[in-house]
Amino acid sequence: MYAKSFASFLRKWSKLPTALQSRGFCSSKPVCAKDVWDLLCAVCLERRPTLTTQLTDLESKFQKLLQDIEFENSYKSDYEVRKEKERKQAELLKKGELDSDTDVTVKTAQDLEDAYQDEFSKFQFAARQTDCDKRKDLKSLDRALDKYLVLVVNQKIGDDYRWILPQGLRENGETMRQTAERVLAERCGTKLQATFLGNAPCGFYKYKYPQSVRSSSKAVGAKVFFFKAWHIGGNVECSKTLIKDFKWLCTEDLNSTLQNDVYYNSVSQFLIVQ
Amino acid sequence: MFCARLWNHVTRVTKSQCLNHVQKNTIGTAFSPLLFKFSPCLFAEPLKKKKRIDPAILKAREERKKKKIEKQIRRLEKNARQLKPIEEIEVPWILIDEKSTRMRNVTSLSQEQEEERALLVKEWSRYKYRQHLEDLQQIDKMICSQQKALDELRAESEELYLEAIQIDPTLIPIEIEGPARTPAIKNYESPDGEYTDVSKKWI
Repeated sequence: MYAKSFASFLRKWSKLPTALQSRGFCSSKPVCAKDVWDLLCAVCLERRPTLTTQLTDLESKFQKLLQDIEFENSYKSDYEVRKEKERKQAELLKKGELDSDTDVTVKTAQDLEDAYQDEFSKFQFAARQTDCDKRKDLKSLDRALDKYLVLVVNQKIGDDYRWILPQGLRENGETMRQTAERVLAERCGTKLQATFLGNAPCGFYKYKYPQSVRSSSKAVGAKVFFFKAWHIGGNVECSKTLIKDFKWLCTEDLNSTLQNDVYYNSVSQFLIVQ
Repeated sequence: MFCARLWNHVTRVTKSQCLNHVQKNTIGTAFSPLLFKFSPCLFAEPLKKKKRIDPAILKAREERKKKKIEKQIRRLEKNARQLKPIEEIEVPWILIDEKSTRMRNVTSLSQEQEEERALLVKEWSRYKYRQHLEDLQQIDKMICSQQKALDELRAESEELYLEAIQIDPTLIPIEIEGPARTPAIKNYESPDGEYTDVSKKWI
């Protein structure tokens, strides 16, 4: 037993020098060299809600309560006083105690109120649900106006296309913010205007390249830094070589579309969930 | 006077030149301008005699100046104590006079209604508390995510990290238009309203 293990130890030991030789000058450097990673920037482009959310049941109940309390604690306004006075006058007129020519105002408060009501009923508010909502046009920005929309693109990664936030490799001499701005302009066209929220990344995700790719490139994998931006105007124009398709999605629809759960988890860390 | 002096000068020069027999008699500025030399003339007149003022008058003048400034100070102090009225919090007299007619005769709430209101307020506070906690969690999550990204960036490159933590001055001050109840109507021409500004100017 002892002799056997000693023999195997010897065998291992004899292999060691050849392994060191094959690494070249490795003896002067630390044996475990630092892995090289590609630095990527991805843009999380948000369209902010332009409409308030619908009140929940509790919210509308409480709103009514507040209005009631406010009404109970208030005094009558000039308009209400006037209306009351005119009502009394009308009663007196019916009884014949008042002369209709002298003491009655021509245009009563009730008349005014009716006119206002009439004007108000003629006014048409724009619908909260737009046509794009009804058509379920995911490429339109005129949709789900009371929610955050996030731009998701079908981008080529390696050999196949995946649904991700638009991303791209950092070039030498660029800061991360500049890379993010360039990436967005290159992939989504110049008509899309955005405001970047600061120079710092808001999220992080890393993945390793498959073995076949790793042998050809120096890098082991990619570290993706997410930058947040607000949509200002314009829509995406796909550059066909980089992006096949795009969608504007609500935050709750992202999970089913994004490439995998791990990716979604790191993205969801910095999203505003309503 | 100036001409005469110049003439004297010129004649003196020519005389001296003639004596030395070095140069010709003719004088011209074209070929030997250095021969012209004249002293600067003085434009001045004798100084005036200083007027004597009675010291009493001087004193009176100073006194008047002092009084003027004192008066201004007094006026400013008087104004400083006078505060600018806030019209919004002053109850107009007409409302105080008509208080009895403007009262609403609201029927007092029944026991059940009061109970219902109290329960609603309690439920509301619980709801807001939960909402607040969720907000805090969300903010924490975002800060954590950003810190992790910055740490990873620092591990890759210190320079990129230093660039990333710079403040973006274009974002300050930030202006955000809040969400509305209904979307804006496209191509809507809002009717021109007229108003008269009745607010008083206070200095």
